[in-house]
Amino acid sequence: MNYPTLNKLEAFTKLQGLCVLAVVLAAGCDTAEPPAFRLNMVEAVVRETPPEYSQEISDVLGAMFGTPDQPYALAETGLDQAKLDMAAGPAWSDKKGTNFGLYRKHCVHCHGVTGDGRGPTARFLNPYPRDYRPAVYKFKSTLNAARPTDADLHRVLMNGVPGTAMPSFSLLPGSEVEALVEYVKYLSIRGQMESALHMVVYELEEEEVVDENGEPRRDEAGEPLLQRTPLNPATYPEQREEILSYLEELMEGWNTANEQIIVPAEDQIPGDDRLPEEVLASAEAGRKLFYGKADCKKCHGPTALGDGQQTDYDNWNKVHHEFLVEIGRKSESIVKRVGDGELDKAAEQQLINDRVELARWQGVAATLYKPRNAIPRNLRQGIYRGGRRRIDIFHRVFTGIAGTPMPGSGPASPGAKGTLTEAQMWNLVDYVLSLPYEPPSQPLKALPVNVDEVL
Amino acid sequence: MNTHIILTCSGLLVRCRLSAAFLSVVCFLMVTGCQRAEELGPVAEPASVAEIRQAFSSGADALASDGAAIATGTGWATLRGQFVYDGTPPQMKPYDVRGEDRAKCSRAGKAPLQETLLVDPETMGIANVVIFIRDAARVHESAQPNDESIVFDQKECVFLTHVAAMTVGQTLEIKNSDPMGHNTKIEGRKNVFNQSVPANETLVFSPQKEEPVPVSVACSIHPWMAAYFLPRANGYHAVTGADGSFEIANVPAGEVLEFQVWHESVGARDGGPLVLETPEAKSLKWSRKGRFKIRLEENEEKVLNLTVPASALGG
Repeated sequence: MNYPTLNKLEAFTKLQGLCVLAVVLAAGCDTAEPPAFRLNMVEAVVRETPPEYSQEISDVLGAMFGTPDQPYALAETGLDQAKLDMAAGPAWSDKKGTNFGLYRKHCVHCHGVTGDGRGPTARFLNPYPRDYRPAVYKFKSTLNAARPTDADLHRVLMNGVPGTAMPSFSLLPGSEVEALVEYVKYLSIRGQMESALHMVVYELEEEEVVDENGEPRRDEAGEPLLQRTPLNPATYPEQREEILSYLEELMEGWNTANEQIIVPAEDQIPGDDRLPEEVLASAEAGRKLFYGKADCKKCHGPTALGDGQQTDYDNWNKVHHEFLVEIGRKSESIVKRVGDGELDKAAEQQLINDRVELARWQGVAATLYKPRNAIPRNLRQGIYRGGRRRIDIFHRVFTGIAGTPMPGSGPASPGAKGTLTEAQMWNLVDYVLSLPYEPPSQPLKALPVNVDEVL
Repeated sequence: MNTHIILTCSGLLVRCRLSAAFLSVVCFLMVTGCQRAEELGPVAEPASVAEIRQAFSSGADALASDGAAIATGTGWATLRGQFVYDGTPPQMKPYDVRGEDRAKCSRAGKAPLQETLLVDPETMGIANVVIFIRDAARVHESAQPNDESIVFDQKECVFLTHVAAMTVGQTLEIKNSDPMGHNTKIEGRKNVFNQSVPANETLVFSPQKEEPVPVSVACSIHPWMAAYFLPRANGYHAVTGADGSFEIANVPAGEVLEFQVWHESVGARDGGPLVLETPEAKSLKWSRKGRFKIRLEENEEKVLNLTVPASALGG
């Protein structure tokens, strides 16, 4: 997909870089600002949160979560402050050799200070590093809609994500990995809270303007004058309550993750002592499901090379894709109205307002990377991002991959009806694990239609 | 543009004899660019942070109400009405049908038409407008959650129910009447679901929480497929039919009810609040959030006929 706005802006951003360089050369740079958490501006403009609220949202988040140098966790989050202190701040070691600033030492260059997946190297990576802020994690043992467990995050840090730029951190001491898990959760919770604050702002009603005597001011018609209600939980206790109830709700998701783990039925798990013929028979049954009821071929392709449906997006890229498409629509509408000429006063004012808004959107678009399609995994490589254990593949088949087009085949919640039985899902696991070794003459040939779409 | 930058870059090299290390910094800056602060949003101010943190950490001044509406009236009433389009009914474009299922996803060789904004040419009624009570203090037994299930079918790669509103506790029977597999992906604020639905089979999904606005339903295999889904805590919701009419029966009388109105073609994506500025909407104090308040007398049967100008629906 080509985004004209983005191409123009990329070039523009590079020019800006030169200008900034000139300024730096002239002025020198003796003091650097400490790193700061930044807002999710895509969310701010898409949700149409008035710009005056940005500072206040930033302040509330600062109060609830502190800064990258001095993280802070309200008791309601249940986060361990000592672990956060170990993971946050600049990288250094004390005399005993205890390391601090772990996130900035190991993670920030890809995942960014705010955990938005936009560190300095992010632009060059494919896939882009994870944006923690929506608190959606792909590789976990819990149901699709659930948060990951600490053990899930821990496993990703220990094993890395094979096939991506995410390395293993298994050489770090256990305490450091635990501190990083805590810090990643902290960044996610902060991101979720930022979204919730947009909801809080959206629900604010305008308040009456009062004079020095506390009397409401009125306009000529005798109607009370109204003004914007600021977001400030220190002066509005009801805002404070609302924010805390949002926090409580999102923490419930994290705190109940352990109850959402997918536990396969003991009697359905294939044994370790199966004969080769039994494994082959199971893989063959899985193959039938792959091309039949489970319909894996639709996306992973008739060859299982990942060459099926390739035009969809994951949640993270979809947000940016739709944002850029909307900018295209906005600018088209403006160009059309300018071309029409002869506008009345109201229409002209509307046009001016729309141009101001478009400029704001384009400014945000300049900070984005080009959205990428979600390409289904090539199952013939033997590289499994979420882990190569049989249980890892089982979890992927059972509940899909959160935040991506990959659907689940098991029940979406305990007691619900699954598409496949557990025995069938284990057959698929056997087939998927056998695919890298399947003779290349065996699979169906790719249909010409797939060739079109790859190109 | 890029060539121009590279030329400038080599020009700098010749003129200033910059060291290779410095040059790499220059190139790095050019690639990554610099972002203006306003594009990244403002940074927290320490003074306000301290004040707000104090408020969060000090003991709560317990607030009496937990935000729930308080019952003031008795009896029940009915709200019905119609949303009428003021303008030329828009022509819907066909869906962007692609892939190997092209033939099965078409009707008489043609891709099905989108359903973003459906206007009935005879009555000018607007279909799929969603209207619901935001917070009800009392709920009539007919609007209580029940265990009826709602069939949500798909055929020829079209969701047959474009907007499915339901009560939490009910089950959504996700049916596939097509000869090929689909998957149904719901990305709600509080309800997330993504499961594959084989040909001619049915799955069930029971939402556990209500959503404040309808959320998108999609199929990743056929990404053009689009529908909406709204689970609410009670039965006080309606989706307008093909003639734009709706009815919400047995709403609490004698108290102020706040209604939310939503339509898919408002806003950037996934719909938004329908904002009306017509005289009849002004008399209801229709807000910028697509809400209005109304108080009905016991056994009153209120009829609201609302004209929706094309501009309110992005037309």
